[in-house]
Amino acid sequence: MKRLDRLSLGGLACLLVLVVFALGSLAGAGGDPDAIVGPRLRPPGPGWWLGTDNLGRSMLPRVMEGVGTTLLLSSIAVLVTAAVSATFGIIAGYRGGYLNELVMRLVEVLYSFPAIVLAILVAAVLGPGQVAALASIVLATIPLMTRLVRAAAVAVSQRDYVTSAVISGARLPRVLGRHVLPNVAGTIAVQGTYALSVGIAVEGGLSFLGFGVQPPQASLGVLIQRGGTYMIAAPWLILGPGVVLVVAILAINVVGDGLRDQLEPRETRSLT
Amino acid sequence: MTGDTPGAEAILELDDVTVTFTAGPPLRRIRLDAMRHVSLSVAKGETLGLVGESGSGKTTTSRVALGLHRPTSGAVRFDGRPFPRRRRELAGRMQAVLQHPHWSLNPRMRVGQSVAEPLAVLGRPVGDLVTEMLGHVGLEESFAARYPHELSGGQRQRVSIARALVTRPDFIVFDEAVSALDVSVQVQILNLVKDLQAEYGFSALFISHDLGAVRYVADRIAVMRSGEVVETADTATFYTAPAHEYSQRLLEAL
Repeated sequence: MKRLDRLSLGGLACLLVLVVFALGSLAGAGGDPDAIVGPRLRPPGPGWWLGTDNLGRSMLPRVMEGVGTTLLLSSIAVLVTAAVSATFGIIAGYRGGYLNELVMRLVEVLYSFPAIVLAILVAAVLGPGQVAALASIVLATIPLMTRLVRAAAVAVSQRDYVTSAVISGARLPRVLGRHVLPNVAGTIAVQGTYALSVGIAVEGGLSFLGFGVQPPQASLGVLIQRGGTYMIAAPWLILGPGVVLVVAILAINVVGDGLRDQLEPRETRSLT
Repeated sequence: MTGDTPGAEAILELDDVTVTFTAGPPLRRIRLDAMRHVSLSVAKGETLGLVGESGSGKTTTSRVALGLHRPTSGAVRFDGRPFPRRRRELAGRMQAVLQHPHWSLNPRMRVGQSVAEPLAVLGRPVGDLVTEMLGHVGLEESFAARYPHELSGGQRQRVSIARALVTRPDFIVFDEAVSALDVSVQVQILNLVKDLQAEYGFSALFISHDLGAVRYVADRIAVMRSGEVVETADTATFYTAPAHEYSQRLLEAL
């Protein structure tokens, strides 16, 4: 198996650093994110390496906590999306017919809403908070992943090894679990990384609007929203979490591209 | 229909089978007869070759014979009995070797797992059967641990044959099983099929557009053209004195 290329490895390294950052915050490194450590709106300096916010809290532990919140929320949401999309995409792709039509039309309805509109709707129904953010990410990422998993499943279902299994008398769970799922797993993994970056963006947007994670808990979206208020007087408040957000999304996309190059089954390519 | 011999000893009989595909909206529906009043029988231990150009209905015939497609009209009998409603009841008694060596094996499964699968589906013990079957098709024991992308086209088709034979089926469909292989490899596989048939005594439906390959393995030949069987004859008779004008044209083109 080929290794990931250098760019993807770089992306992976960035992600690892962010995860270590987030874990460090749990372990208390960087200090208490809610503690007031100094004067208000101070630029970066000793004692507060990313500056202090409008209440005099050090930004460093807050950004660390924020990365953790955002990554955790998005990851859980993407796992839910992957499970739901894989199930419905594979069944729709293999079975075809009315079930396929039903799943695809439902997904298209979801697809027709911009992610952030969907997210606001969810927040209105469930009330602002982490659950709303999670549900929004799931709803925003399900359509694309389901469509792509279905497309992959349609192609795989027509291959001779699936037919052979059916001729041998294999039942549906075996055909889907042993033959279709492993051969669309690459698509699921690649789309999962893209969904993760969409998830981070949706969480950021939702919390920015005030419908997602609620202060004092920090998430990247919350921090950016708060920072926006003092953009002229204290640009570091928005710069820290903003840069981290961009780096996270970029890194995840780069890793996703590398994964796609490596995982998309060789046999779907015309040239080896 | 000439020379067809539907006897009590037939393993598979298609009796006046018609398959119609429809597509499009109700009022402007397009209808296509993939099979028109096809009657064929494969006797026990016999190989029936089915030839015809692309689109003549060969593959539909194989899908009907395997119970993957229900005929629009007509009857299919396996071992003298009508086809069961649930084709799982015949699991293990009929198998297939399909046309694409590249996609005949699941790329995520080791060769050994692929060969053992028909047994696992039936809940039968596997034991040493995988090694034994691989040996029968001329592959070493070590192949069991390999993945399909490490194998050549001919080797993959050998694995497909091992997988088809592992349940000791009464009937095997070879659907263009050698068409994608090099000529020298084709001969090896055809010889293998003949040897194994002598040993295991299975009946076979050998579908191909390659008249040369069919001549090599088939006892009788059926010729299909646009959904109909135009001629059925013993192989020797067919290649020396084809009765139907279309068969003559086919043979001239050889």
